[in-house]
Amino acid sequence: MTESLISTLEDKIPNIKLNCISQGAEALVFESDTHPYYNDSKNCIIKYRPSKPYRHPKIDLQITKQRTIGEVKFMYKLCKLGIPCPNIITTDFPNGIIWMEFIGYKLENNEISSFKNWLWYLEKNGNDHDPLKKEVEFVCIKVGELIGKLHLNDMIHGDLTSSNMILVQDDVPHLIDFGLSSFSGLPEDKAVDLYVLERAIMSTHSVYAESYNRWLLKGYQQGYTNKSKYKEVIKRLEDVRLRGRKRSMLG
Amino acid sequence: MVVDLDKYLKQDKDYYIAIGLEGSANKLGVGIIKHSKGLLSNVNKAKVLSNVRDTYITPPGEGFLPRDTARHHRNWVVRIIKKAIKDANINKFDIDVICFTQGPGMGAPLQSVVIAARTISQIWQIPLVGVNHCIGHIEMGREITGALNPVVLYVSGGNTQVIAYSKNRYRIFGETLDIAIGNCLDRFARTLKISNDPAPGYNIEQLAKKGKHLVNLPYTVKGMDMSMSGILAYIDQLAKDMFGIQKKQLKDEESGEFITKEDLCFSLQEILFSMLVEITERALAHVNSNQVLIVGGVGSNERLQEMMKLMIQDRKNGQIFATDERFCIDNGIMIAHAGLLQYRTGGIIKDLKDTVCTQRFRTDEVYIAWRDD
Repeated sequence: MTESLISTLEDKIPNIKLNCISQGAEALVFESDTHPYYNDSKNCIIKYRPSKPYRHPKIDLQITKQRTIGEVKFMYKLCKLGIPCPNIITTDFPNGIIWMEFIGYKLENNEISSFKNWLWYLEKNGNDHDPLKKEVEFVCIKVGELIGKLHLNDMIHGDLTSSNMILVQDDVPHLIDFGLSSFSGLPEDKAVDLYVLERAIMSTHSVYAESYNRWLLKGYQQGYTNKSKYKEVIKRLEDVRLRGRKRSMLG
Repeated sequence: MVVDLDKYLKQDKDYYIAIGLEGSANKLGVGIIKHSKGLLSNVNKAKVLSNVRDTYITPPGEGFLPRDTARHHRNWVVRIIKKAIKDANINKFDIDVICFTQGPGMGAPLQSVVIAARTISQIWQIPLVGVNHCIGHIEMGREITGALNPVVLYVSGGNTQVIAYSKNRYRIFGETLDIAIGNCLDRFARTLKISNDPAPGYNIEQLAKKGKHLVNLPYTVKGMDMSMSGILAYIDQLAKDMFGIQKKQLKDEESGEFITKEDLCFSLQEILFSMLVEITERALAHVNSNQVLIVGGVGSNERLQEMMKLMIQDRKNGQIFATDERFCIDNGIMIAHAGLLQYRTGGIIKDLKDTVCTQRFRTDEVYIAWRDD
């Protein structure tokens, strides 16, 4: 049960108020108003990879450490390049804990301002706000630009979905969740990254997916300033779309 | 809307009987199943009348070759069908439909079994239904365990897939990018010259129970997919170094004890199953489900079931379902069961030329007419 998992974190960082906001396959995400070394009450996020009881302790330690380090390194590099993502406050590799700055705000329906929730909110309240209005196009292009910049620097997110982007005030998108990230200059890896996003948009925003994807790619082109490399990625993307990602297995 | 499963019920009858022929790999299985009319449920369960299987076993260090396996199936198919009908204690003319594995599998064994199916179909004048092997595993697993809408982990000698149902198809969320898990274990068993009786994977499991030291192996999960050929190449090399001419002994770093055959089996299982459990957990989180069903030959491994149980305990209201070796390992009954469901929704083959079987037949190609959720 989740409660027992939460208590394992409470043992590791005692006396800190924790509020679990999501459980993924790999990690739990908490919100807390306690900062590890400042005395102000700015909120922060604690991402915790609990140890998996099914794994051999040796494998478990290795994976937790490796992935936490990988994620922190990726965020550090993003920070250096000025690509928006949450700032790291502190980390604890062997325990799989990352503290980072809280970003985003609450939407009018009290949901966190992820790109997905923001789009859903506009899609649902379509009477007052036409979901296809200029603002959405503007934000989609901004998101595309962000991904373009990421790929320009040979960085692969690995899990691009609309819930892995957070909008902060003035609708500036920030990337989060780098558990599957990697560094690669191959057009193949970048194309697959884009394809994953395209599929994610189709399954979560099926009605407007076509326009969203068009705008995202438009933004991607603007962000990816190396034109010849951009063309290679888009050409590869067309191949990837045809191939899908699954092939027949013998058996 | 509820699916009408009794449109094709014969007059003066309130049940169906199907015979299933399976031979996509080295197991030849024939099973007979009975459904009473109406929807299948906890009170109206499918009844297994007989389930006969014969496995083609090769000497240690050898795998089964398509030609020899096909010969085994041809030699045995008539005897096995006769035995299944005798065990079930039914009249062969009471059978409504003959089901056979249409794919995926090894070409030659599939073909020899489909010939048997066509022959009895024409002699007895009974219609044929072609069944996807993976769908057979999934449907039988659901029927036996009562799992309603689980994420299915299908692990066998030829397949490694994480599957979830959505809108009349079993969709593949994650799978192996190269070799299947059973294939990986079998090939390692061949390197170690472990006996193939009753199954190489079973013998590895027994050796692994005695293993203590974990050898470092690569861990290769890619999103919801996994890759195993690199791990096999790595551990094969270790084994060759240890047991080949050089006799290079490896030591465990902590205890200083020598690494044994048992330790290698143990390490291989630990790393492969950790990967499997992880991709299953990813799929669970992705589709917001809390039920897991394990099917396929490797699914009868107790360590895998135990690891899956540990994973599911940490999820809210998690449930795990697994079947025993009668239904995990390839068998005829699952083909009969899935085929009968297909028959009851009108999926019979009208022309003999459509009975051609195929080595490549994806799980998500089949339209699941008998589910409407």
